[in-house]
Amino acid sequence: MKQPLRIILALGTFLLLGIFTTAQATELVLWHAYRGAEKNAIEKVAKLYETKMAGTRVTTLAIPYDAYADKITASVPRGKGPDVFIYAQDRLGGWIESGKTVEPIGFFMDEATQKQFLPGMMDAMTYKGTVYGLPLNYKSITLIYNKALVKNPPKTSAELVKLAKSLTNADSGRYGLAYWYTNFYFHAALMNAFGGRVFDKDGKLVLNSKETVASIKQMMKWYKQDGIMPTEPSETLVSSMFNEGKVAMVFNGPWFIGEISPSVDFGLAVLPVIDEAGKKPMRPWLTIEGAYVSASSKQKEAAYDFAKFLASEEAGLILALEGRQLHTNAAIYKDKRVTGDVVLNAFHDQLSSAEPMPNRAEMTMVWSPVTTAMNKVVKGNATPEAALKEATRTVQDSINALHKGR
Amino acid sequence: MSISEHLKRSAILGLGISMLLALVLSALLFRAEERDLGLQERQRLAVLQANALVLAVADTDAEATRKRVQEIQKLDPQIESVIIVAGAQLLASTRPEDAAPRQLRREEKPLFDLSNLIRTARETNRGEEIVRKKTIQVEEAAQGHLVVTMPYLAAGEFAGIMQMQFNLAAADVGTVADDTVSLPLLMLLLALLAGVMLRLDAGRRIDFAKLLALAVFLVIAVFYQQQRIGRLEQIEKQDNKSVAASYLATAEQFDRLGYLPLLRDPAVVNLWDTDHYQRPRGLIGADGSISVEAQTRQLGKRADFIRPILWVIDLLAVAVLLMFVYGYAARAYAAFKAHIDAYIYVAPAMIGMLVLVFFPFMYGITLSFTDTTLFNESLPFSDRLIGWDNFKAILGDFNIYQSTADGISWNYQNFYWTLMVTVIWTVTNVTVGVTVGFMLAMALNTDGLKGKAIYRVLLILPWAIPNYITALVWRGMFHPQFGVINQVLQMFGMEPVAWFDGVVSSFITGLATNGWLSFPFMMVVILGALQSIPKDMYEAAEVEGASRWQRLRYITLPLLKPTLIPAIVLSVVWTFNMFNIIFLVSGGEPAGANEILVTKAYKIAFEQYQYAYAAAYSTVIFMILLVYGFFQTRITKATESF
Repeated sequence: MKQPLRIILALGTFLLLGIFTTAQATELVLWHAYRGAEKNAIEKVAKLYETKMAGTRVTTLAIPYDAYADKITASVPRGKGPDVFIYAQDRLGGWIESGKTVEPIGFFMDEATQKQFLPGMMDAMTYKGTVYGLPLNYKSITLIYNKALVKNPPKTSAELVKLAKSLTNADSGRYGLAYWYTNFYFHAALMNAFGGRVFDKDGKLVLNSKETVASIKQMMKWYKQDGIMPTEPSETLVSSMFNEGKVAMVFNGPWFIGEISPSVDFGLAVLPVIDEAGKKPMRPWLTIEGAYVSASSKQKEAAYDFAKFLASEEAGLILALEGRQLHTNAAIYKDKRVTGDVVLNAFHDQLSSAEPMPNRAEMTMVWSPVTTAMNKVVKGNATPEAALKEATRTVQDSINALHKGR
Repeated sequence: MSISEHLKRSAILGLGISMLLALVLSALLFRAEERDLGLQERQRLAVLQANALVLAVADTDAEATRKRVQEIQKLDPQIESVIIVAGAQLLASTRPEDAAPRQLRREEKPLFDLSNLIRTARETNRGEEIVRKKTIQVEEAAQGHLVVTMPYLAAGEFAGIMQMQFNLAAADVGTVADDTVSLPLLMLLLALLAGVMLRLDAGRRIDFAKLLALAVFLVIAVFYQQQRIGRLEQIEKQDNKSVAASYLATAEQFDRLGYLPLLRDPAVVNLWDTDHYQRPRGLIGADGSISVEAQTRQLGKRADFIRPILWVIDLLAVAVLLMFVYGYAARAYAAFKAHIDAYIYVAPAMIGMLVLVFFPFMYGITLSFTDTTLFNESLPFSDRLIGWDNFKAILGDFNIYQSTADGISWNYQNFYWTLMVTVIWTVTNVTVGVTVGFMLAMALNTDGLKGKAIYRVLLILPWAIPNYITALVWRGMFHPQFGVINQVLQMFGMEPVAWFDGVVSSFITGLATNGWLSFPFMMVVILGALQSIPKDMYEAAEVEGASRWQRLRYITLPLLKPTLIPAIVLSVVWTFNMFNIIFLVSGGEPAGANEILVTKAYKIAFEQYQYAYAAAYSTVIFMILLVYGFFQTRITKATESF
C-alpha cells in the first residue's frame, strides 16, 4: 500500500509544480503546415527561441495543409487558435477583409526590421497600406533543365525556341519545353514580362489588356507554331516527362526539386528574356509565406517578438539550410553555406526578376475563370481577346457581388 | 383522463398558450427594438457633435486645432475628452494627463491600428466608388458613455483620426411614457375568456368554434403588435426632435465661438447628422427642420424590418393554436404520459440531432436570407438581412441560352442548366449502376459456377477502394495524350478524344467513373435478393412451360422489387449529391458545363466567397430532395403493401 501512495504523492507534486511553472511562463502557440525537414527546422528554431527568452514556452503545431486556412478562418475570429501562424500571402486579403483574424503589426515594426528583407517581400505582407505580417520565405518558378540534354540553358526566348525545337520529336513524345502553361499561376511569368496585370494600383480589374493578350499569343506560338510543348499539361505530366528524360526543360518551383528522380542530373537557371516583349525578362509570381500575429492572441507583443525572431538572420539560416526554405532575410545570402547551395542560389537569382502575387481577396475569384479562358484558347475554341473578355466579365461579376454598397 | 377529456380544455389551453407565446415573443422583439432606438439616438447625438468638431478644425494648423478643441470641450459638459492621432503621434488631447504632441505609447497600439483601419475604409469606399466600409466607429465604453472615432481631415486630406468620448447618460433622449404590463395582461385575459366560452367539436374538421378561436387570436395579436409599432414610431419621431434640438444648440455654440459660419438655409444639406458611413441622413435640414418625407421613409424602413419577424411569430403561435384545437396536443400529451420512459431513452439521440443536425441546418437556412459574403460577415445580422433576394436571383434567372450568330450558346452558370445536368447525371448513373449490377448478379447467381467467391470479391473491389483514389485514377486514364483510354483507341486506329473539352465527352468521364463505383453496391443488393427467391417457383414455372424471359419477367423482377426500389431511392440521393466524382474527375469542365448543384454551391462559397448565395443554393438543393423524399415515401409504402 505504501509504494503506490508514494508514487501518487510524487506525481501530484510534479503535476502541481508543472502547473505552477507553466502559469508563470509566457506560452506561445505557433501553427504551421510543414512536414519533414521543414517541420524539424521550425521546431529547432522554436527551441532556440525558448533558450534565448527564458520563461517563454513555444508550442508548435503542424496542421495539415488542406485544412489549414479553414481552421484559421473558423477558430481565430472566435477567440481561439494560435498566437502566431504561418501562411502564404494569398489568403491575407480575405482574412483582413473579414476581420478579427490578422493583427496589424506596423506599430511594432521598426525601420531596421523592415529593411532586413529581400526586395518586394514586405509588399506581400502589406494590405492597403497597413503591415500585417513578417515575411519568412518565398517560392517562385524558375528554369530547370536536364543536363544530359541541355548544355547551356537559354538566355532569350529565341535561344529557347531554337534549342527546344532541336530537342522536340512529337512522334516519339519528346518535347523541348514543358510547363503547366494553361494554369494561370505558371502563365503569370509571361504575362508579367509583357507588363500585363490582374489589378491596377487602385485594385481595379485590368485583366483584359493588350499586354495580357500578347502574352497568351506568345504562349500559343510556343505551343502551336513552334510545337515545342506537349498538349494538356499538368503537374504530374510535367514531372513524369522530366523524370523519363522526355522533356529537356521545365518551368517549375522549389517543390519540384523533391520530385526529380535521382537518375536525372538537373541544373537551374533564370527564366529567359522574352524578345517579343522588348527583351523583358519573364517575371514569375512570388508566393511569400509570412508569420502573422493572431488577432485573438492574448500576448500580442510576445507573439510579435517571436515572429520577428522567425524572420531574423539566425533563424533564417536554420530554416534555409535545414528546412531547405528560401528565407526572406537578405543577410543569409551572404553566408557561404547558402551561396554554395546550387538550388537556394538559383532561386535567389530568379528573385531579381519576380514579383509578389497580389494578396487581394478578389484574387481567388480570378483563378478559375482565367484558367477556363486559357483552356479555351489552347483548344482553339476562342481567340485570346474573346476568352479574356469573357473571363473578365465573369470575374468582375463575382467581385461586384462582394463589393456591395451598404 | 381520456383524450376526449383533454380535448374539452383544448380551446382555453390553446388560446392561452399561443397568445402568451405571441405576446412574449413580440414583447421581446419590441424591447430589443426600443433598446436599439435608444442606442441609435445616443449615437446620433454623439456623431452629430463629432462631425461638428471635425469640421470646425478641418482648415486650421495643429496649434489652432489644439486650441479650438480645448475651448469646445470646456464649453460642452457632454464631451469628456477629445484626442487627435496622426500616424504614431498623439497630435492633440484634452486629457489633463497627456502632454500633446507626443509619440503613442506601446499600450496605445489600438489607436494606431484604428487610424489605419479608418484610413483604409475611406480609401476603399473611394476606390471602389461604392460605400461599404464604416468610416465612423462608435463604441459604448460604459452605460451612456460613447466613444466616437472618425477621420480627422487637414486641408481636405486624411490626416489621422479624432476620438471623442461623450457622456450622454443625462442626455435628452426622446422617451414616450409606457405601460408594458397592463395591456398584454388584458389581451391574455381576453384570449382566455374566449377560450372558456368556446366549445370544440373534435369530430368535425372545420367548425365555427375553431374558426372563431383563430379569429380571436389573430385580432388580439395584430392589435397588440400594431399598437407597439405605433409606439416605436412615436419614439423615433421624438428622437428626431431631440437630435434637431441638439443640432441647433451646438450650432449656436459654434457660431458664438466664431468657428463655423452657421448655415440656416434649409436648402443646404445638414452635414452633421450622418450615418456611420458619413453620409448625411437627410432627416434634419441645415436650419433644424425635420423633413417629413425622410421621416416617413425612416419609419417605413423600420416597420419593413419588423413586420416579417412578426409574421413568423404569429405563424408559430397559430401553429401552436391549431395543434391544440385539433387535438394533436392532447394526443401527444397522452402518448408522452403513457410512454415516458421511451422518450427518456431517445432523449440523448434527440439532443445530439438537435445540436449536430438541426442547428447547422437552421443556421444555413437563416444565412440564405442574408447577403453575407467574406467582406461583410463581421457586420451585425440585421444589417445583412435581405429577405428572398438570393432565391429570386437563383430561381428567377432564366438567362439559360443566348442566340448568337453561330447558333445557340448555353449559359453554363445558370441554375436551370446545372439542375438539368444534375438530373441527367442522376438518372443515367442510377440506370448504369442498376443495369450492370443486375447483369453481374444474375451471372453470379448461376448454379454451379466455379470460383464464385473469387469473382464476387473482385467485383466488390471497386466499392472497397476509397472513391478519391478511383476518381483520380480515372482522371489519369482520360488524359488526352498519355491516358490509357486514348492509347487503346489509337491502337485500333481511332482518333484520340479530348475528353474534357466537350460537354458530352466530359460528362461521360464522370459517368464511367461513377458507374464503376456504383455497380458493386447494386450487385450485392440484387444478389442477396436473388438468393432469397425460392427455387421451387422457377421449377413450377418451368413445368408449366414458361420461357426464360417469362421467368425473368413474372418471377424474378416482381420479387426483386421490394429490395430494388429502396436501393434505387437511396442511390438517387447519393448520386444527386455526388461531390467527389465531379470535383475530382472533370472538375465541371468545360467552363463549368458539367458542374452539378453541390459542386456549384461549393464553388460559390469557397471560390467566390458569396456565403449567403451558396447557402440559398444549398437550401434549394434541399427543397428539391425534400420533394423527392415525399415522392419516395409514397413509393416505399406502395412496396411495403406488396
